[in-house]
Amino acid sequence: MNFSFPTVTLDFYISALPVLILCLGAISAMLQSVFKKVGSETAVFGLQIVILIGALLAALLAPNSVETAYLSGNYLTGLITQFGQVTLLVIAIIISILFKDTWLKAKFFRGEISSLYQMVISGMLVMVSSEDLITLFVGLELSSIGLYALLGYTDPTRKSQEGAIKYFVLGSFATALLMFGFGLLYSATGTMRLSEIVELVPKMADHNWVQLGALFAMVGLGFKLALAPFHLWAPDAYEAAPTGITALMATSVKVMIILVAMRIFGGGLSSIYEVWMPALMFLAVISMIAGNVMALVQNSLKRMLAYSSIAHSGYMAVAICAIGNLGGEFPYAAVLYYLIGYAIISIGSFGILMWLENDQNDNITLDNLSGMASKHPKACFALAVFMFAFAGMPPTVGFISKFFVFNAALKANLVSLVVIGIIGSSISLYYYLRVIVRMFMSEPVKVAAPLAPKNSVIVSLVVGVAVILVVLLGTVLPGPVMDHLISTSLEIARN
Amino acid sequence: MDFFNSHVLTLTTFLPLLTAVAIMFTPNLAISRWVAMGGSAVTFLFSLHVWYYFDAQTPGLQFVEEYSWIPSFGIKYIMGVDGLNLLLFILTTFLTPLILLSVWHIEGSKQKAFLSLFMFLECGMLGSLVAFDMVFFYIFWEAMLIPMYFMIGIWGGKNRIDATTKFIIYTVVGSLFMLAAAIVLYLLHYQKTGTYSTNILDLYTTAPLYETQLWLFGAFALAFAIKVPLFPFHTWLPDAHTEAPTAGSVILAGVLLKLGTYGLLRFAIPLFPEAVATYAPIIVSLGVIGIIYGALTAWMQKDAKKLVAYSSVSHLGFVVIGSFALVAGGNQISVEALTGAVYQMINHGISTGALFFLVGIIYERRHTRMLADFGGLAKVMPWFAFMLIIATLSSVGLPGTGGFVGEFLILLGTFQSSPIAGITASLGVLLGAVYMLHLCRKILFGPLDKKENQELQDLSPREFAYLTPLAILAVLMGIYPNLFLDKIRPSVEHLAQNYKQYRLVAAEQPAKDIENVASSEQSAESAGE
Repeated sequence: MNFSFPTVTLDFYISALPVLILCLGAISAMLQSVFKKVGSETAVFGLQIVILIGALLAALLAPNSVETAYLSGNYLTGLITQFGQVTLLVIAIIISILFKDTWLKAKFFRGEISSLYQMVISGMLVMVSSEDLITLFVGLELSSIGLYALLGYTDPTRKSQEGAIKYFVLGSFATALLMFGFGLLYSATGTMRLSEIVELVPKMADHNWVQLGALFAMVGLGFKLALAPFHLWAPDAYEAAPTGITALMATSVKVMIILVAMRIFGGGLSSIYEVWMPALMFLAVISMIAGNVMALVQNSLKRMLAYSSIAHSGYMAVAICAIGNLGGEFPYAAVLYYLIGYAIISIGSFGILMWLENDQNDNITLDNLSGMASKHPKACFALAVFMFAFAGMPPTVGFISKFFVFNAALKANLVSLVVIGIIGSSISLYYYLRVIVRMFMSEPVKVAAPLAPKNSVIVSLVVGVAVILVVLLGTVLPGPVMDHLISTSLEIARN
Repeated sequence: MDFFNSHVLTLTTFLPLLTAVAIMFTPNLAISRWVAMGGSAVTFLFSLHVWYYFDAQTPGLQFVEEYSWIPSFGIKYIMGVDGLNLLLFILTTFLTPLILLSVWHIEGSKQKAFLSLFMFLECGMLGSLVAFDMVFFYIFWEAMLIPMYFMIGIWGGKNRIDATTKFIIYTVVGSLFMLAAAIVLYLLHYQKTGTYSTNILDLYTTAPLYETQLWLFGAFALAFAIKVPLFPFHTWLPDAHTEAPTAGSVILAGVLLKLGTYGLLRFAIPLFPEAVATYAPIIVSLGVIGIIYGALTAWMQKDAKKLVAYSSVSHLGFVVIGSFALVAGGNQISVEALTGAVYQMINHGISTGALFFLVGIIYERRHTRMLADFGGLAKVMPWFAFMLIIATLSSVGLPGTGGFVGEFLILLGTFQSSPIAGITASLGVLLGAVYMLHLCRKILFGPLDKKENQELQDLSPREFAYLTPLAILAVLMGIYPNLFLDKIRPSVEHLAQNYKQYRLVAAEQPAKDIENVASSEQSAESAGE
């Protein structure tokens, strides 16, 4: 390994601009708590939005035509990286806008929280744009540690500490396993770069250590992705977190981990897929079954969505198995399409939950929703669209993305996984429909703290756009979007 | 006119959707009623255009529209009509305005949503009838469940939530397995030809291996059997029918169930001809059991609506045995039975639709559907009695009504195929007369002894307006069947011919060729393991 100081060019600074802007924003937001008087009530929030939009512009404009590795693979540019960065930043912007009210409640910590938020996002950006195991690890830690803090710290009035501690303990355990796996990979191959590992592994006479490393890495990523049986933290953490942070965990974290898993398993370790694929298949099956079955008995919507997100991680894991088995660009594109759809549906549903919540009640249950359709028909209509989309009913994006994933899996001869997926989908239909039944077909139930949401232009806008996208991506847009994703995937697809 | 001719199917299918959206933006219920009626009436006129310019001599697709939709997967937007779906297409557009008329008087803040959902449902049904691309079809096929789900769940009776949940979960489970089977077929087609295509006509040529066909046919048949519903998958139907509002029951019996039998004819039979021969005895047996079981259960019902619902199970059993009446040692499908099956679909839509309307009419007046609460209504409601008797006679298949033509053709084919099935099914015709006349006797005749019944109003002009077209059609289909049969026959003959051709080729084909395909499939499978 070369320990000389790497040469840094202007190109690198230009392509790393999104991360650099976010770090700058994080540092300046931190200064607000030092000079309390300087930052007014909303200035820090405004700065956060400006920084995020700036980073988004930088990510959109970054050169992407050729995949380029800077600092010996520590930072990559290219279409996949750009896809990940743009997706993460768009999600981050929408969530921080939706989250503004809760965030402004945290009077004393405003600067720190804004700073943490931006650090989390910058860690995620690093994560999706690196092929160096150490840098991946640094990015993961940057985002995870920030998330632990955000979860427990954002809203001092709610009892989120328990969930935060649970998430922290299990999360650090997972990170340790991941680190151990990476260490084994390094000790076996002598390199930290995935692009070198992929060439070295097939040449090795004996790759037991690589196999062990791959399995440890899978367990670590599985924890973060909340694949069963490593999912135990997810429902508690989802419920404990302020809903905005829950939305971030449900969407951004999934995007980040899936992209990394695609790079590691689809790219670096693809030659030993016989080893890791059965394990991942096992995780996928358990997730699809356990997630959907456990969701059946939930009364709290956030817990229900947590279990449903476990099941959806399972579907994405199916597609990653297909990548391992099949190669080619189709399964990659299928995963990316699924991610986009899932992120839009999640943001929309969490947006509605955030809108319904108030100080007395920030854990919406099915009882709260009972008979809501007569009072808030538009919100209920939107939530119904999202529920149908989660359940994979046409004409929503949920169906098309499930179709792509099943298609990839059947092409890779993973018939059993598809059958389990179908059974899981059928089970899931019941609990998604239950939300609709409660909203549209039941009488209101008397609850202690009735909900009285105010009209909000921002929420209407975000939810409205999400509804339109959910329908368009299920009907008109799949053609062009899929073409784009396929050309994006060509970059990392092996043939 | 050229533009109109080449896009008429798209326009007809999506006009209801546009109407549904427009209804959401109307300021009050009165306007939305007119918008709905206007939209559905224009839709009906468009479909008459298709009927008028449909060339009865051509067995293939007409009014075809084809555009690329998801090019990287070879998925297309394809629409077309032939003899199999033309009449169902028009039945749908014909029933919709009548149903809208039947709910004209219903007030309430939710009624606007009902009209909008109904138009959405019409779009789903029309789309799944004319779609000729597997994925495109599937989207309509499933999307159609959503409005029906809400219609039963919001406007239904006491157990509406259980009924509607059962309805949607049953149907979706079947459909998901069909989806998986369709994807497998699509991949097999790719293996064989090297091009991705979900065009049904392309998939027809796939002809997978016999063992594969058995699995795939099973998945397809399950989805359609649940929809039909074929015994023993029928358990959702009586619940859904009983709980659904009248409009929902009419469209459910009128069109939705037919999509199951249509799917068998359009997909299951031509896609997997070898499996058909293997499965036909099982399916015909189930159909016959359904006929007898449905009839006996209907006879035992105390609730008029449940009676009509079980009569649907029985009648659709006829359609199913008509579709699978194999003759000549399983190498040919009986054209008569097949024609009868298509004809009976339309006829059942009209007669059962009318019966549900009529049950709805007395339910609105008396808020009960129990047979024991009625009796002697013929004295106070003579016109109602007249309509009920026409619908009943058409339903039992009296000569001179459409039911006779359909059942006769089906039984003709079935007798050639399997005399036992034919005899048992004929027993079903007899039982049909028993329970339907039982219904008539209980409601219309006997002493007018209940006080509430003595003051019942006869049909209002609005009720006349939507029952008369159905009554006329029921008789017209009986006395001049060729008007409709001519349009059906070429496509049915084409389907039967293709089946025969396939069986001939399969019988003569050298074993070597099949082995080649087998080994390539096996190697693909072993690569996966």
